[in-house]
Amino acid sequence: MADKQNVQKSVKIAAGAVVCVESEIRGDVTIGARTVVHPKARIIAEAGPIVIGEGNLIEEQALIINSYPENIMPDSEGVEPKTMTIGINNVFEVGCVSQALKIGDNNVIESKADVGRNVILTSGCIIGAFCQVNTCEVIPENTVIYGSGCMRRVQTERPQPQTLQLDFLMKILPNYHHLKKTVKASQNTKN
Amino acid sequence: MASLLQPNRVVYLVCGEKKIRSPLSQLYFCRYCSELRSLECVSHEVDSHYCPSCLENMPSAEAKLKKNRCANCFDCPCCMHTLSTRATNIPAPLPDDPTKTAMKKAYYLACGFCRWTSRDVGMADKSVEIIYQEGQPDRVLVFFHVTQEKYGLGTRLQRQRSGAPISSLAGLSLKEGEDQKEINIEPAQALDEVEPLPEDCYTRPISLPEVTTLRQRLLQPDFQPAGASQLHPKHKHLLMKRSLRCRKCEHNLSKPEFNPTSIKFKIQLVAVSYIPEVRIMSIPNLRYMKESQVLLTLTNPVETITHVTLVACEEGDSDDINSTAKVIVPTKELVLAGKDAAAEYDELAEPQDFQDDPDVVAFRKSNKIGFFIKVIPQKEEDEDVTVSFKIRHDFRNLAAPIRPSEESAEAVPEAIWLTHHVELSLGPLAN
Repeated sequence: MADKQNVQKSVKIAAGAVVCVESEIRGDVTIGARTVVHPKARIIAEAGPIVIGEGNLIEEQALIINSYPENIMPDSEGVEPKTMTIGINNVFEVGCVSQALKIGDNNVIESKADVGRNVILTSGCIIGAFCQVNTCEVIPENTVIYGSGCMRRVQTERPQPQTLQLDFLMKILPNYHHLKKTVKASQNTKN
Repeated sequence: MASLLQPNRVVYLVCGEKKIRSPLSQLYFCRYCSELRSLECVSHEVDSHYCPSCLENMPSAEAKLKKNRCANCFDCPCCMHTLSTRATNIPAPLPDDPTKTAMKKAYYLACGFCRWTSRDVGMADKSVEIIYQEGQPDRVLVFFHVTQEKYGLGTRLQRQRSGAPISSLAGLSLKEGEDQKEINIEPAQALDEVEPLPEDCYTRPISLPEVTTLRQRLLQPDFQPAGASQLHPKHKHLLMKRSLRCRKCEHNLSKPEFNPTSIKFKIQLVAVSYIPEVRIMSIPNLRYMKESQVLLTLTNPVETITHVTLVACEEGDSDDINSTAKVIVPTKELVLAGKDAAAEYDELAEPQDFQDDPDVVAFRKSNKIGFFIKVIPQKEEDEDVTVSFKIRHDFRNLAAPIRPSEESAEAVPEAIWLTHHVELSLGPLAN
């Protein structure tokens, strides 16, 4: 990959974030403070930049990808790069795939869940394990999607931010993994 | 080709009150009657009750008192998963000194699957770890009593009738000697005037998350709440261990252990440990009216040598209703070696010397042989090719009392010959 140097320079990792070297981050990605990215996590910004907020937890084999929609070729003109925005205190559990362009705060995407590109997660949503959500809609706040039939219900309170887990990981992960160097985020990144 | 090993590919016919075709792994063998038995021709008896999540054993009388529900465990009313108890720290005033506050633990129930919590229905957090539910009035129990008396099912005479679904209600009968009170329930009265629907019935948007599903509603038959905010957690239903008894000779066929954590059996007369099992090993391309060779295996479960003869079904056999192909089985008797558990460790074991016809026997491996049958599909339709034949083997009944013979001290139980009807499903015709 000849332009790996150029591509990697676009990865901006804020101070205080813990990003393991074994994770694969490609494209224009901004990672906020206190975010933990586990090894083998993949954040790929193909069709546009990705902005990740603070306090997120991205576990192993999670895939956050800003990819081209299926019917558009990468080289065709007139395709504007859309930014994928991820808020604060989200949890992307092991093996999940997220292509949603806009994710709010305090969401939990459980293991092996698959969130499509046209879904917008507001706040406090929980996508249950192995649930595939590829509709074209805005998921209301505090919605829980669970079960093999993707049943839904609304919970009364949002899931708690995983502060204990984040603190623990930020202490322990540097003992066992090399971390990617933090680069100060540029002024014009969106939160 | 794991699909060839699916259990319903090879079925055995059980001649009981009803003719049942079932794979050998789901059948039992009564060695006193020397017959195969299926779940429908045995009587089921409840052995013990236990809770599936806390694995606590409960005697039957106590289970009846608690309506077959566990006292400690709860089910989520939303997804029927087991609820777990979670704790939070809340500041609470100390009882001695109201001005100071200390952290106290408060417990609530939460579901790990659908994220339902007991706070959703408005249940306050309890300070005691085990949360008991207050008793609900038992309108359902009263209704059962009335129907029992009406249909004459209140006494214990019904135990002999096995297979009756109402046996679950037999536990609710009154004690002997108590007078059976007539409980009068007023019949519902038809009214002319009905309450009108609310005015915003057509315009108010439905909030789907607030509406309970039928399954959630019917799991609480006494209240049947229509709104999700009235779904209270229910105590977990107990499961039971059952023992099976042959109806003809009244011997136990299956008796599990009393301990809920143990999966072993005290008595386990399953068919796979007495009857040789036929399995499909490989099927070539089957073509209409063309003869093909199918490779089957036969496994001997007992430790003595077994002789097996296969017989094709005759014309007009009443059991032979499903076969769609003609089958030519080997005419010679197949000999199966006994199952020897120590054979793999014994290096000095002499290789068994069976004269095998290579046209019939493909391979032999300890207590298993592979043999060929020839199949000629007779129907050109798209259904599965099914063949059936009878398998006749000798069975030594080690359980029956051996009459002491005067001549020899060693008594060898006599062999009786058993015949079973086997049907194989070989899959569709090629292309």
